[in-house]
Amino acid sequence: MTALLVALALASPSELQVSFRKVVTSDGVALAVYRYARPGVSSPLPPVLLVPDVGFTRAAYDFEGAGLARWLAARGQVVFVAELRGQGKAGPGLALEPMARVDLPAVLEALRLTRVDLVVQGWVGALLLAVHGRDARVRRVVALNTPVLAAPPSALAEAFLADGGRFSTLASSPQGARVFHELFALWAELRPGRERAFLATGTRDLSRPVAAELLAWMRAGDLPLAQGSLVAGLARASRPTLLLLGLADGFSPPEQCGALREHMAGAVEVHVFSRAEGGEDFSHLSMLLGRFAPSRVFPKVAAFLEAPER
Amino acid sequence: MRSALAAVLLSGCAALQVVPLPPHAERYRPRTSDGWALSLVRYRPAGEPNGRPVLLCHGISANERNMDLDEDHSMARWFASQGREAWTMSLRATGASDGPDPAQGRRLPIFFDDYWQHDLPTAIAHVRAVTGADAIDYAGHSMGGMVAYAYLSQGGGGLHAVATLGAPTRLDWGTGLEALLRQLGPKVVASPDVQLPSRLGAGLAAPFMTVVRDGPFQRFFYNPESTDPATWQRLVVYGTADTAGGTARQLLSLVASGRFTSKDGHLDFRADMARITTPVLVVAARLDRVALTPAVMDGYRALGGPRQWLLITRANGALGEYGHMDLVIGERAPDEVFRPVLDFFNQHERSRSP
Repeated sequence: MTALLVALALASPSELQVSFRKVVTSDGVALAVYRYARPGVSSPLPPVLLVPDVGFTRAAYDFEGAGLARWLAARGQVVFVAELRGQGKAGPGLALEPMARVDLPAVLEALRLTRVDLVVQGWVGALLLAVHGRDARVRRVVALNTPVLAAPPSALAEAFLADGGRFSTLASSPQGARVFHELFALWAELRPGRERAFLATGTRDLSRPVAAELLAWMRAGDLPLAQGSLVAGLARASRPTLLLLGLADGFSPPEQCGALREHMAGAVEVHVFSRAEGGEDFSHLSMLLGRFAPSRVFPKVAAFLEAPER
Repeated sequence: MRSALAAVLLSGCAALQVVPLPPHAERYRPRTSDGWALSLVRYRPAGEPNGRPVLLCHGISANERNMDLDEDHSMARWFASQGREAWTMSLRATGASDGPDPAQGRRLPIFFDDYWQHDLPTAIAHVRAVTGADAIDYAGHSMGGMVAYAYLSQGGGGLHAVATLGAPTRLDWGTGLEALLRQLGPKVVASPDVQLPSRLGAGLAAPFMTVVRDGPFQRFFYNPESTDPATWQRLVVYGTADTAGGTARQLLSLVASGRFTSKDGHLDFRADMARITTPVLVVAARLDRVALTPAVMDGYRALGGPRQWLLITRANGALGEYGHMDLVIGERAPDEVFRPVLDFFNQHERSRSP
C-alpha cells in the first residue's frame, strides 16, 4: 500500500510513472531504488540500471523533473536508478568495495534482473565495471568519465577529499560553491541556479572512511579489492562498453579515463565531447543535467544501447 | 550597418600589424642534409647565463613566431630574461625557412617524418655548434612536441631535457571533428604534393576574429579568459604558415588508425617512446580542444624515462582555463606555463649534473 502511494505521488503528469523501493543487503544496509516506466509500453531491450558517482544521488539522473532516467523511460525502456550505500537515501557507506560486491548484486536479485544494461559514472563506475564487467547478467555498459588511471585529478580535488569530501561544506559558502564549480561543473551550460540547487540537494557527504579510501586509491593508482585489484578487474571486464568523456570534468577527468579502452578485455567505444564541435565540454554534472545533455549525450547512450547485437 | 562593419574592421585591423623581431634577435640559417635552409632566431641570455640553451619549436600550420610573438608574448624572450639562451626555429616551408623550390631540389611532398629526420637534428646540431653546449633543452608546442617524441624514440640525441606542450600521440577519440576529418580530409588533401593555403585563409579571416566573442576560433584554439583576442589576432596574421599536404595526410592517418607512426607505418613512434630516457615534462591544458587531455596523457604514458605531468587548470592554481594556443601566447603563460617548464629544466640540470 505504501509503495503504491509513493508511486502515485512520484508519478509525473505524463504517462511516466516513478516508483520507489527499498532493498536491504545481506549485511543489513538499506539501498534506494527508483523505477521509471511508461505503463503499457514495452521495449525489447533489457532494463537499464543507472548508478551515480560517489557523493552524487539519484538527482544526477533525475533532477527537477528532467534527466537521463526520464529521457530513457520516455523512449519506452524500463529504467532503474540505484542509490548504493553512502548515496542519496541509502544507508551509510563506510567502504567502496561493498558498493560493487554486495550492493549491486542485491539490487539485481531484488529486482530479478537477469539481463540488464548499466550506466555508471566516475569512480563508482570504475569500481562497478571492475567487479561486474564480465557479469553474465550485464549486457552492455555506458561509462561516463570512468577513470582507470587513478591519480588525484588536481590539487583542488585532493584538498576536497583530504577534507573528507563534504559537499555540505561546499554548499555553505561562496568559496565552497566555487570549489564545486571547478571540480564538477566547469564551464557547464546549466539553467540558472541549477548548479547551486544540485549542490544543495543532489549531493551527499562522503563518509570520512570513503573519502580517505578514494584518496588513497587515487594516490596509489589502484584500489585493492578482496579478489585482486580494481585495475586487474578492469582488465578482465569484457562487456561492450561505451565510454563518454567530458573534457571539462575536473573530478574524474578524461585524461584518466581514456586508457580504459586499452585496459579492458572487451570492446570499448570512446567519445570525447568538446565545445569545438558544438554543445559544451561537459563536466561531471552537466554531462547528465546540462542544457546540451539531452541533445548531445543522451542520444549517444540510446544509440549504443539500442544498437543490434554484433 | 556599413559604418558599424567598417568600425569593427578598423578596430580589428589595428592589431593586424606584424611586430618585427627586436634588433638583438640574431638570425641563423643552417641547412639540412637534404638542402633546406631553416630559420633559427637566437636570444642571448640577459645577464649571466644560467643553464643550457633552449630550443623552441612550433606546431602544425605555424612558424617560429608562435614562440616569439612580441615582447609580452614570447617564450623565447622570457627564457632569455631568465638567463637561458633561447632559440626559436621554423620547420621547413614555414616562417622564414626555405619553401619548396624544385629548381633548387626542394620538392614536395613534405611529411612529418622530414621534421624529425632532418629539421630537428639540424637545429639541434646548429645550436650545439654555435653555443658549445653538449646537449640542449627543448620545448615543443603541439606537433613540435610530437616531433621531439619521434626524434627521441628513434634514438635522437643532443637533448638534455624536453617539455612538450599540448602534444598528442593519439587522435582517435570519437569526436565529431574526427568524423569530419575522416570524411573530408582525404578530399581536401587530395595529394601530398600540395601546400594547403592556411596562411592566406588565416589572413583573410583575421580582421573578423574579434567580431564574434564565442566563435569557432575561440572554441577551438584559445580561451579569451587566458589570451586577449588581439594577441590571438596577431598570431593569426604572422604566426601562421601553409600546411604541408604530406604532413596533413600523415597526421590524418593518426585520426584513422589511432597509431603514431612513420608515413610508411614501419616505425611505431608511440611504442618506441618506451625507449626514451631523456626527462620529459608533459604539459596539458584542461580545455585544449585540439590536443585533448587524454590524447596528451597517452604520450605521457608512453614515455620510458623520467617524466612529469603538468595539467594547467584553475583546479591546480592557474587563474584561468587554457586552450591549445594559450599554452604559448596566454597572457599569464610566463607564470603558469613557462616558469614550470624552466623549473623542470633546472631540476634535471641539477639531478643529472656530475
